[in-house]
Amino acid sequence: MLKLKNVSKAYGKGAIKAVDNISLDIRPGEIFGFLGPNGAGKTTTIKMIVGLLKPDEGVITIDNVNVWEEPLKAKSMISFVPDNPEIYDRLKGIEYLNFIADMYGVSKEDRRRKMDYYLDLFNIKDAVGDIIASYSHGMKQKLVLTSALLSDPKLFILDEPMVGLDPKSAFNLKEIMRKMCDGGRTVFFSTHVLEVAEKLCDRIAIINKGKIIALGTMEELRNSAERSQSLENIFLELTE
Amino acid sequence: MNKILSLIKTDFNTTFGLSSIAYSIKNKKNRWQLILFGIAMLSLIPSYILIVKSLSGMYDIYAQIGQKSMFLLTGFLASQILVFIFGLLYVMSKYYFSNDLAHLVPLPIKPSYIIGSKFVTLMVSEYLTSLPIILPFIIIYGTKNGEGPLYWIYSLLLIIFLPIIPLVLASIVVMIFMKYTNIGARKDLIRTVTAILFLIAMIYIQLQIQTIAQKSLVQGSDFLVNLIKDSNLLVKKLGVSFPPSQWAALTLANTSNLIGIINLLTFIGVAIITFILMIFLSEYLFFDGLIGNIEVSASKGRGKKIDTSDLSRETKPYVALAKKELIMLFKTPVYLLNAVGGVIIFPLILAFTNISGGDESLSKTIEMLSVDMGYIALACIGFISALGLINNIGSTTFSREGKCFWIQRTLPIRIEDQILGRLLSSLAVQVLGILALLVSLLFIVKLDLLSIILIIVMGLLGSIPTTQIGMAIDILRPMLDWDNPQRAMKQNLNVLISLAVGALYLGGLVFLTIKIIDKFYLSFIYGLIAVIFILSSIILFKVLKVLISKQFEQLE
Ligand SMILES: Nc1ncnc2c1ncn2[C@@H]1O[C@H](COP(=O)(O)OP(=O)(O)OP(=O)(O)O)[C@@H](O)[C@H]1O
Ligand SMILES: [Mg+2]
Repeated sequence: MLKLKNVSKAYGKGAIKAVDNISLDIRPGEIFGFLGPNGAGKTTTIKMIVGLLKPDEGVITIDNVNVWEEPLKAKSMISFVPDNPEIYDRLKGIEYLNFIADMYGVSKEDRRRKMDYYLDLFNIKDAVGDIIASYSHGMKQKLVLTSALLSDPKLFILDEPMVGLDPKSAFNLKEIMRKMCDGGRTVFFSTHVLEVAEKLCDRIAIINKGKIIALGTMEELRNSAERSQSLENIFLELTE
Repeated sequence: MNKILSLIKTDFNTTFGLSSIAYSIKNKKNRWQLILFGIAMLSLIPSYILIVKSLSGMYDIYAQIGQKSMFLLTGFLASQILVFIFGLLYVMSKYYFSNDLAHLVPLPIKPSYIIGSKFVTLMVSEYLTSLPIILPFIIIYGTKNGEGPLYWIYSLLLIIFLPIIPLVLASIVVMIFMKYTNIGARKDLIRTVTAILFLIAMIYIQLQIQTIAQKSLVQGSDFLVNLIKDSNLLVKKLGVSFPPSQWAALTLANTSNLIGIINLLTFIGVAIITFILMIFLSEYLFFDGLIGNIEVSASKGRGKKIDTSDLSRETKPYVALAKKELIMLFKTPVYLLNAVGGVIIFPLILAFTNISGGDESLSKTIEMLSVDMGYIALACIGFISALGLINNIGSTTFSREGKCFWIQRTLPIRIEDQILGRLLSSLAVQVLGILALLVSLLFIVKLDLLSIILIIVMGLLGSIPTTQIGMAIDILRPMLDWDNPQRAMKQNLNVLISLAVGALYLGGLVFLTIKIIDKFYLSFIYGLIAVIFILSSIILFKVLKVLISKQFEQLE
């Protein structure tokens, strides 16, 4: 599904490599967790996948579509939720949702069904008639999540999605991710919440200083680590 | 006093971006852009010289009828009215919608200090409006009339004090306006409607004053006798619509006698008194209009179920994009004032200058020369095309995305839709400009249906390339890192560069038209211009496609 091959990226004049020659192969129907300490290169990697940052080297493909050669085709398969989403705050919630749905060409029937479902689930149905500037941080985030789900994406990419969500919404989001994967969709997300990663993810990658230092299922990670058993300990041990 | 000096200094720096300019000059990468910008600005000089030359001809006409001072009045009126009209826009965005207010209001400083410091920076920016207009008038009059040193000293004083009265008036009008429209959730709408009504009322009143003045002027058989007796007659009669301009004109026309110094002192004295009055009023008016601007009208629907089946509908991507652009333009006050306000106000200025121009007014000239309707329509088309630049929509279209730019870059939007949608939003605003122009023209000439259709169709056609020029410049270096929309539109160098480049394009077209206007049928010229508009639109579309796809990839 999503393949990264020898991808590197350096900011500025190439002094430090934020992402250093990483390769990943994410399978369809998989929930993939991307962990790493602050400044490890998670956001940078994600930005390169979604078309916000051009890699210096390497190839990124989604279903064999090169993200940087056929951006339109690739982007129509992806939905992306950034870590701190800034959206058009002068639009009403519903106007924003319709705008995004129009860009993906979602049919009227589909978008109504999805809106009804997700707005209810996230409990923001009553707010979609208001302008986004009046939303709280979490409400804004839930609107962005809803908008990202309208197109029923093949690949759902989220950068630290749990930050700022209330417990119920976080639970709902986890359920949504599960269901998507059951339906053959792929989810790729970064997080600092190890517990979420441990329980939710089929496979996990840990990145440190731009390099992948561990990759595999929870089981495989446990086996490879010498004495650690919890993900927390593995994480601490590896990123020391 | 220290407080106010420090306020002024900070405000200066942020307004004119002194630090960032200094940084740009040091930064090699930006230096060529500044140089390019300089060259583009230099290219405007020839057309300015042309205008100044025609002013010199105007002086000669007034000199022939012994009313030289009328020439000065025209200059002072034009510059002060422009300062006032721009002042309304500047004051509104600077006093009420600028990014520093969130920091200033909580500080322990009086409202009058904030207003005072903002007023000073505004005055300096207003010199940029007033100087290019008033200087040629003063210089032409002074040199042709062989005036002595006193004239130049008086001129200097007048120039320094010139923006004060109009700007004070604009400040008071806006502060009262903001205070009494600061009501309820619908205040944006209320404000827009009141503002338009106010402008119409203002034009109407001006019109009334002028007709009364003109009537009283020519009444009775002794008009010609009076004209010869009193060389300041026209100024005295026609200056009533804005007395400060009259005082200024009389000052310079009477440097050798007491009338001059009396008028000068009146001009300066009134400026100072009105300024103090404004500062005094600001204590009562300013905060009342300001507080609550930051609130947005929310939760009208909260608690009430919104049925998504009513609200969700499918739209073509470019239409959806244009719609989103328009909502953002109309709901963000700074954008509304500059983009939409701009296209409405410029045509109105045209009507104003005609009305306050007295005998030399445009309509009289047109009548006298029995100008062909086709030529007038042609001029209007050029004017509308220029509005496509002045509305700043093209030249800020990507900058305005700001921190939301990621949305556009991660969505699967075809570049053609990207261009088309943004273009459409500009054209929609242009329609308002065309309407304002047609309404203003009602005061000046009687247009036939064909001309109206020509103006609408060709005006829109001409707005396409001018908007595209702005878009091309904006995508080359979009200014995305802002936290107040003010910066995307008012402190964006792309706006100025686009104006300069666009002026070159339109200037070339005007030059060509003038060259061939008496050699071909008018209909052929129309056809030619249409072809040029269409061709340049297509070429620019292609250029934009390349630029956008490249920049969407490369930006970080
Ligand atoms: N715009 C930028 N310009 C220069 N360097 C940057 C930029 N963005 C990130 N970096 C650098 O790249 C490296 C990786 O940053 P990145 O944002 O990918 O980290 P992250 O793993 O997402 O961290 P966090 O957990 O804090 O979100 C860091 O060293 C950071 O300083
Ligand atoms: Mg990050």
